[in-house]
Amino acid sequence: MTGFTLFRRVGAGALYTFLLAPLVFVIVVSFNGGTTPKFPPEGFSLQWYGVALSNPNFTGSALTSLVLATAATMVGTPLGVAAAFGIARGRFPGKGFLEAVFLSPLIVPGIVIGVALLVSLASIGLRDAPIRLLIGHVLLILPYVLRTTLAGLASFDRAVEEAAVTLGAGRAQVLWHVTLPALRPAILAGAAFGFIISFDDAAVSIFLIDAHATTLPLAIMSYMQYNFDPSIAAISSMLIALTLAGAVFIERGFGLKRFLGN
Amino acid sequence: MSDMTAASSSHAEKGALRAFLPRAHAGWCILPPMAFLVLALLLPVGFLIALSLKPAMPGMFDFTGDLTLANYLRFFARPFYYETLLKTLWVSALTTLIVAVIGYALALIIWSAPRKWRGVIVLIVLSPLLVSIVARTYGWMIVLGDRGVINQILLAAGLIETPFQMMYTSGAVIVGLVHVFVPFMALCVLTSLDKIDPAAPEAAMTLGASRLAILKDVLLPLTVPGLASGITIVFSLSMSSYVTPALMGGSRSGMLTTFIYQQFAVTLDWRFGAVLVTLLLGLTLLVLTAILWSAGRMTRRWSRAI
Repeated sequence: MTGFTLFRRVGAGALYTFLLAPLVFVIVVSFNGGTTPKFPPEGFSLQWYGVALSNPNFTGSALTSLVLATAATMVGTPLGVAAAFGIARGRFPGKGFLEAVFLSPLIVPGIVIGVALLVSLASIGLRDAPIRLLIGHVLLILPYVLRTTLAGLASFDRAVEEAAVTLGAGRAQVLWHVTLPALRPAILAGAAFGFIISFDDAAVSIFLIDAHATTLPLAIMSYMQYNFDPSIAAISSMLIALTLAGAVFIERGFGLKRFLGN
Repeated sequence: MSDMTAASSSHAEKGALRAFLPRAHAGWCILPPMAFLVLALLLPVGFLIALSLKPAMPGMFDFTGDLTLANYLRFFARPFYYETLLKTLWVSALTTLIVAVIGYALALIIWSAPRKWRGVIVLIVLSPLLVSIVARTYGWMIVLGDRGVINQILLAAGLIETPFQMMYTSGAVIVGLVHVFVPFMALCVLTSLDKIDPAAPEAAMTLGASRLAILKDVLLPLTVPGLASGITIVFSLSMSSYVTPALMGGSRSGMLTTFIYQQFAVTLDWRFGAVLVTLLLGLTLLVLTAILWSAGRMTRRWSRAI
């Protein structure tokens, strides 16, 4: 082994450790038998999963997050798909600019989206947390669906649509039975990614929640300010499992890398 | 009807088909999402910027008065306020620099790894993004805390006698931000590396160039576009990150975003908060333009040299 190879392997190992360490320790600590998140753990136990699942703050906010992410995905996905169709197939100038405008929720800081919605919705007298949260989360989801659907449309062969028309299909039939099924992996990947982003969001939601409607990440955050027990590790591990399942689903159908490249 | 004119070309039949397809009216699809975006994002942000120019008056949403820069003058009158701005810039710049180095190294590792390992390494590199922000931060608390893994190792080894404070410092904020932004940089650089003709570095090696020279004179110039887009993404994400600084830096992390949170959620001074938001957006835009401009100049200079 040359000096360079050794240097390279040690460097790569150090970088992998840096990337994985926090995740590995969260999972190890969640099975802790003791009462503090100590390392090495004092025996194996599932007690902290029980504690986390019997905390009404966590279960209640988890339900809120689930309903919110589902509703936002159901509203945001059709909007994102429609925007993608308009940009890919419409006949008007400035498509690049429009695409940039639609991707702007990714660039505008989450905290700014939250504050802007808080202030302007309050000015028209709208102070209901569920509606505010829904609007904010639809904004979060829309760009992801737009991106994947645009990618799907770009690699879609329009000759298939022409064939369907030749065979006597109407416009709605073509869209429903040919184009949308072909785009299904792309649309589902965008929706799944958007769902995860919505479920995980804290920066936008922090200004839009109220005492009755709190999301899971914010409930964990406020719990974390005063407590440090391993029940947070247990609930975090469950979140890791959930996100990993989503990631595997996206990777199978669409490819995860396509979300983040340029 | 414009589709009929298109159909008058030699491919009359095909033109008629296309006219029938969803394309003809697809442009209208843009309207509902556009309306939503304007109402839910563009107008609210515009409203917030307008608010920053209103004189501080008890009537909250009065837009009849004159515009004023008084709120901005207040910001620059107190060193504490603009020091927050400088600290945010400094933390973001340092984070971006570290991410650029680590991300570039990881991109090189993925690029030169054997095919069969590539998938596993990409998964490791993406792993920070796949984990909830609260879970990630809790993990860092276990590692960096006063009774955390690192302190326990150092104590056991007898290297230190009292725990070394790492959590709730700017250093912890930077570690947390670097960890989650590395994937963006690595993938941006990798996209550029994948476009390089393998013959280029091979030719350089045949001609006797050292590894360092190949990296500096062949790979680096060819990956400027990927590096530049990675830097712009990471810098703007760092400037605008709220949750990581709030959790890892404590309540006094001194970042602009935590300050914005205080104005809107604690002191309820919405006009001054709007000033902070406008400054955050304006500054981020300014720095991004500067980065993109200098990357463009660098690419032009290198392409002239070749």
